[in-house]
Amino acid sequence: MKTPRIDIFKEALKTGVVTKKYPFEPVEAPEGFRGKPSIDFEKCIGCEACVNICPPNALSVEIDTKRGIKRVMLFLGRCIFCGRCQDVCPTEAIKLSREFELSSLNSKDLYQIVELKMAKCKICGRYYATVRQILFTAKNVPKDQRPLLLLCDECRSKVSAKHISYARW
Amino acid sequence: MSLKLFRRSLWVYHLNSGSCNGCDIEVLNIFTPYHDVERLGIKLVASPRHADVIVFTGPITRETLPKAIRAFFAVPEPKAVVAVGSCACGGGIWYDSYAVIGGIEAFYRILENYYKIRLPLTVYVPGCPPKPEAIIYGIAVLRGVLKQKQRKTYFLEKEVPALTRDFIVNLEKYMKQEGGINIGKK
Ligand code: SF4
Ligand code: SF4
Ligand code: SF4
Repeated sequence: MKTPRIDIFKEALKTGVVTKKYPFEPVEAPEGFRGKPSIDFEKCIGCEACVNICPPNALSVEIDTKRGIKRVMLFLGRCIFCGRCQDVCPTEAIKLSREFELSSLNSKDLYQIVELKMAKCKICGRYYATVRQILFTAKNVPKDQRPLLLLCDECRSKVSAKHISYARW
Repeated sequence: MSLKLFRRSLWVYHLNSGSCNGCDIEVLNIFTPYHDVERLGIKLVASPRHADVIVFTGPITRETLPKAIRAFFAVPEPKAVVAVGSCACGGGIWYDSYAVIGGIEAFYRILENYYKIRLPLTVYVPGCPPKPEAIIYGIAVLRGVLKQKQRKTYFLEKEVPALTRDFIVNLEKYMKQEGGINIGKK
């Protein structure tokens, strides 16, 4: 049976307009939407946990040995919005928001860069970790062992080996 | 820099250059009654010769590279490019695979080196896949209807406390005294 055209119009009028007016009207992303990740500069300690876990290496790290600076970089143009960085960050510095309007006309606008100062080893003078990371670790270390945190990995293992051998003899 | 080149409707040619189909479905989604970009004069065309804008999805695999170059040159000047999805923006999850070129920037490098052309205006729409609204927003930014919100952020740590033996051993005391030292506050 053929439906008369007027019936189709009636049906359409009953349904009303479903089209969203999007570019002229704001739209909220739903609850739990994984949008733009952003690094909170005040909280980041430069521990590289997020850099290790990030599947497409959207997060990367560079160490400037001359200036003693660790640079954590987030390139949104490669991020797949998986949220793994948020799960591993020990200080909850990196978080995914519900923001989805990330389009930009220049790919440089998609970068987020955090530069943190590093500390020098007290024995060999090499830069080995960020100051914030050392202080963050120090809170969970007993007081008598804290001075060992001021040494780089190699010197620390040498010094602790020395301590152990003194204790034995 | 907004686009004053196109006064009226944008005709869009959609080029799948090795995408996983996530982004293609979202591109099709913006033509459904819910989003209906045809009300803004955006129309999907079948041939690059009819198009103003070329929509790239996918990381541009080696197999599609020659075809992508041909389609790119078939679009008449002036043209614009919309890179939809993380794959097209920067290679996405496949960025270091042997089988892909690695996104629109690597594609442009090839074009610059071999064809010496001026690069078209490009809008990057990150997301894996981006929301249909995000793609519409990208096109609105391209047309200059909406302002771009995303900006590069940069932070350099200025002052750090001097790490001395006394400081690190009596950390709690110093933290209480000044309250200003930053050790990844929760
Ligand atoms: S959301 Fe996933 S892809 Fe994006 S920065 Fe975090 S870990 Fe990397
Ligand atoms: S895991 Fe958190 S604290 Fe560590 S480098 Fe990444 S954002 Fe910074
Ligand atoms: S950005 Fe994500 S959804 Fe889009 S083509 Fe790449 S992998 Fe697929």
